[in-house]
Amino acid sequence: MELLSNLGLGFSVAGSFANLAFCLIGAILGTLIGVLPGIGATATIAMLLPITFQLEPVSSLIMLAGIYYGAQYGGSTTAILINMPGESSSAVTAIDGYQMARKGRAGAALAICAIGSFFAGTVSTFLVAIFAPWLTEQALKFGAAEYFSLMVLGLVMSVVLAHGSIVKALAMVVLGLLLGVVGTDIYTGTPRFTMGITEYADGLNFVALAVGVFGIAEILRNLEDESETREVMTASVRNLWPTREDFRAMVGPVLRGTGIGSLLGILPGGGAILASFASYTMEKKISKNPQEFGKGAIAGVAGPESANNAGAQTSFIPLLTLGIPANPVMALMIGAMIIQGIVPGPSVVTDQPELFWGIIASMWIGNLMLVVLNLPLIGLWVKLLTVPYYILFPIIMAMCSIGVYSVASNTFDLYAVAFFGLLGYLMSKLRFEPAPLLLGFVLGPLLEENLRRAMILSRGDATTFVTRPISLTLLLMSLGVLVLVLLPAIRKGRDEVFVESEG
Amino acid sequence: MTIKLTRRLLLGATLALGFAGAALAEFPDRPVTLVIPFAAGGSTDVVGRIVADKMSAALGQQVIVQNVGGAGGSLGAGQVAKADPDGYTILMGTVATHALNPLILKQKPYDPVADFAPVSLLVLVPNVLAVNPELPVNNVQELIDLAKKEPLSYASSGNGTPLHLSGALFNSMAGIEITHIPYKGSGPALTDVLGNQVPIIFDNLPSTSGHLKSGKLKALGVTTAERAPSFPDIPAIAETLPGYETYSWNALFAPAGTPPEVVTKLNEAAKTAMADPDVIKQMDGFSTTIVASSPEELAEHVKAEMAKWEPVVREANVSLD
Repeated sequence: MELLSNLGLGFSVAGSFANLAFCLIGAILGTLIGVLPGIGATATIAMLLPITFQLEPVSSLIMLAGIYYGAQYGGSTTAILINMPGESSSAVTAIDGYQMARKGRAGAALAICAIGSFFAGTVSTFLVAIFAPWLTEQALKFGAAEYFSLMVLGLVMSVVLAHGSIVKALAMVVLGLLLGVVGTDIYTGTPRFTMGITEYADGLNFVALAVGVFGIAEILRNLEDESETREVMTASVRNLWPTREDFRAMVGPVLRGTGIGSLLGILPGGGAILASFASYTMEKKISKNPQEFGKGAIAGVAGPESANNAGAQTSFIPLLTLGIPANPVMALMIGAMIIQGIVPGPSVVTDQPELFWGIIASMWIGNLMLVVLNLPLIGLWVKLLTVPYYILFPIIMAMCSIGVYSVASNTFDLYAVAFFGLLGYLMSKLRFEPAPLLLGFVLGPLLEENLRRAMILSRGDATTFVTRPISLTLLLMSLGVLVLVLLPAIRKGRDEVFVESEG
Repeated sequence: MTIKLTRRLLLGATLALGFAGAALAEFPDRPVTLVIPFAAGGSTDVVGRIVADKMSAALGQQVIVQNVGGAGGSLGAGQVAKADPDGYTILMGTVATHALNPLILKQKPYDPVADFAPVSLLVLVPNVLAVNPELPVNNVQELIDLAKKEPLSYASSGNGTPLHLSGALFNSMAGIEITHIPYKGSGPALTDVLGNQVPIIFDNLPSTSGHLKSGKLKALGVTTAERAPSFPDIPAIAETLPGYETYSWNALFAPAGTPPEVVTKLNEAAKTAMADPDVIKQMDGFSTTIVASSPEELAEHVKAEMAKWEPVVREANVSLD
């Protein structure tokens, strides 16, 4: 069996003492930077690149990969404890995870994350091992038209994200779309809504936006009514472990999240973020108690967290099989390979089998290390909550500022954090949800870019979206979701009319 | 208030001068920052990090890489143009920052000649014209013939990049009109050509070389006047279209006004770095030609490049606000 011998080769490479050590270093570093809000894997890996010059190619890539998925892991910790997504993909985890923490269930939420992530990491690692070449071929079938239709599906689903008024959710999606338009139009080079500031020529920074509307806004809210909410959180953190019911509630979401994450992770361009949003939407839609979402639903933590970890693993597929980066971190990994004299591309699997299979095996080992490392740490993290807020919040703000600045050394990103912090505070006062805004912000530019590219490629023929089978399927799915969302609303509307005429 | 401020300013100026004097005496006595005006992971970034590592050894001080990406390289270049001219902030300039952007941008954030002290032209990077193997053409002439019969498109890493303009120059010299499809960087452009969503691409030779070797892409021609040493089988486009020549390059610049002694030190460190056997091997591995020029040669090179691209930019009618 070829797969077994390949995996055997992989584990023999990854299992060497030096490589185990680098895997551990990567996982620990990744967890740390994930926990520090704003400081992302991209900045860390960029800073560590020169160090890897001296290492063996396999060791350096194993360590860098460890930082990447370790950060995905650690990012959820701050999202749950202080509503500050440490990584962009954990923005969704913040929604219900933080609510669980407020109910004194921070320990359970963290444990659910760790276990869900480990399961997703294991499954998706094997997916990478078995299906990598085949999956890559499928991903290549996604052209501009298919991406456009996928984004449409994503946007339609984003409305479901909202708990509360659909009109308000739509308003947030539109605001997100508009914010996403800021920057240089890639087709004409015209700057849009940059107010003449060159620093915004490449658009607003996602991390700045997420840290602002989630984190800073939360700090402002907490400072307003510190006494009551904080007491609830710290008073009842005794129960660190999920109960039996919790485990039962997380099985389905974890399985579905893993599936969604593995699929979307392969697609270049923010697959992991999209995966966590998609999983959340799905869980809310099929849940028997959708009203729990946004108030600390276990499925709302377990699903997205598994999805983003699975996506993080499968985003290695296009990198390893084609040499194509799915996100900025993968671009850095390519840089690391080039520096080591390995030309990334389809030949890596055949020319460097020990590198390819070694990295894959190390991903599973790394995930195991993460769960072993993090489960005992949960108690420690939760203790963080007992630190007085007047000490905690200045530290959080400083870390955020450093982190956001480190992304692009751009001071204007810090102004953006301040602005979006205020906006997020206003939004929470007016009961607008930040999640649809973020999704609009992520999807909007991709939607536009691919719509226009598809139209240029088809020479202005709009039927390209329905004549291509994958695109058509995705559009039909969007229509289906739309009908599902609107049906109850229509029915409810009729009920209301009925009630009124009676009264 | 005014008096106080002035006094403080004077004090500051004196201190600064004092420091500058000290810096002159023993440059470098603290880490040097190398600004890379693009995001981490691209080819300029890779070249920059390799060079920074070896220059650190030559200078005896750490050369720290700082990525200031944005606005096609203009942000980072503009930042170095305004930095203190003491040699502690230097730029990894490219054909984009020092030839194309100044020609294309309507609002010019810096002057590529007056605002910089050239240090050394480090490497030349050939570009390549490649197609998806499913496109029924085998050489440049067949592509030109096909383009005259049916509408075709080519992918590039973005509007106003050297790759876009390589295509524009190709169009104008061959008298054809292949539609330009810009992407956000070379990665996504390459993905779509590998998947045959777009049949043709102009890209850096280093980032495509893996796909050319595996046969997932078919190279029709390199953009340099001569064939690339690493791929002697790929003809030069100039063999079909005489006079066609484009390439990307990376060069070190300090801010204008940097003392000549400091520039000389930096230049020597850069030359030492580029002569390192590891660096030679790495550059060779990704089809990049080492130049390691003198400051004067780089100054001439920038002028020549601006003169060469000016008519192309004008004819392609590319201009950005």
